[in-house]
Amino acid sequence: MAEAKGKPVAPSQKPTGTDKAIVATRKQYFRRKKVCRFCVERIDDIDYKDVKLLSAFLSERGKIVPRRVSGVCSPHQRRLSEAIKQARNIALLPFAAAV
Amino acid sequence: MRIYEELFIVRPNATEEEIDQAVEQIRQVVTGAGGTIDKVEKWGVRKLAYRVRKYEDGYYVLVQFSAPPDAVTEIERRLRVSDTVIKYLTVRIDRKLKRLEKKRREREQRAARKPAPAAPAPGAPAAEEVMAKAEAEASE
Repeated sequence: MAEAKGKPVAPSQKPTGTDKAIVATRKQYFRRKKVCRFCVERIDDIDYKDVKLLSAFLSERGKIVPRRVSGVCSPHQRRLSEAIKQARNIALLPFAAAV
Repeated sequence: MRIYEELFIVRPNATEEEIDQAVEQIRQVVTGAGGTIDKVEKWGVRKLAYRVRKYEDGYYVLVQFSAPPDAVTEIERRLRVSDTVIKYLTVRIDRKLKRLEKKRREREQRAARKPAPAAPAPGAPAAEEVMAKAEAEASE
């Protein structure tokens, strides 16, 4: 059940009685809208020295997480990737992390 | 005159004097070129994200200064030659500081405007009027 998973679902999105056939035949996803963390938290400055913040946007392997996954807006992603690359240059972040 | 930030890594087995000497070197170039040192921050020994000249960790030092552009080339040349410094990064930050300052000011202005009811009041009814007008036209 959708409610059991605890995800917020708009009333209009909830499957009603008449939709049951559709629900049964086609798997439904309730995707939550992604928001840019830098916009929401009003982080003006993405600093290359802030390792804790930057590493949240790195994959396990040390790669930059793509926008479509992290939900960061494009102006912020540009600043973010710039900062990550600077941090890599001074050995604060890895170019490639061992798994 | 531009504002720069120099972050460099001294090898972990360097003595306190060697670290101070590296900072002093930068200070000499900056003051010699007519600039000023604004801030010196010693982060201490940190683990490096990858091996640099066979060192696993390094002593990070951050120096903020304002100097003409030529001074930076000289500082970088000296750091490159230096045996104690294993890595360095120079970042120009005056544009960034300006941008942050502008953003902060904008935010303050917006915050100051918000509690005053005068600003949003003339805007809101106008929008409603336009909507009503459009609806009226549509129904005709």
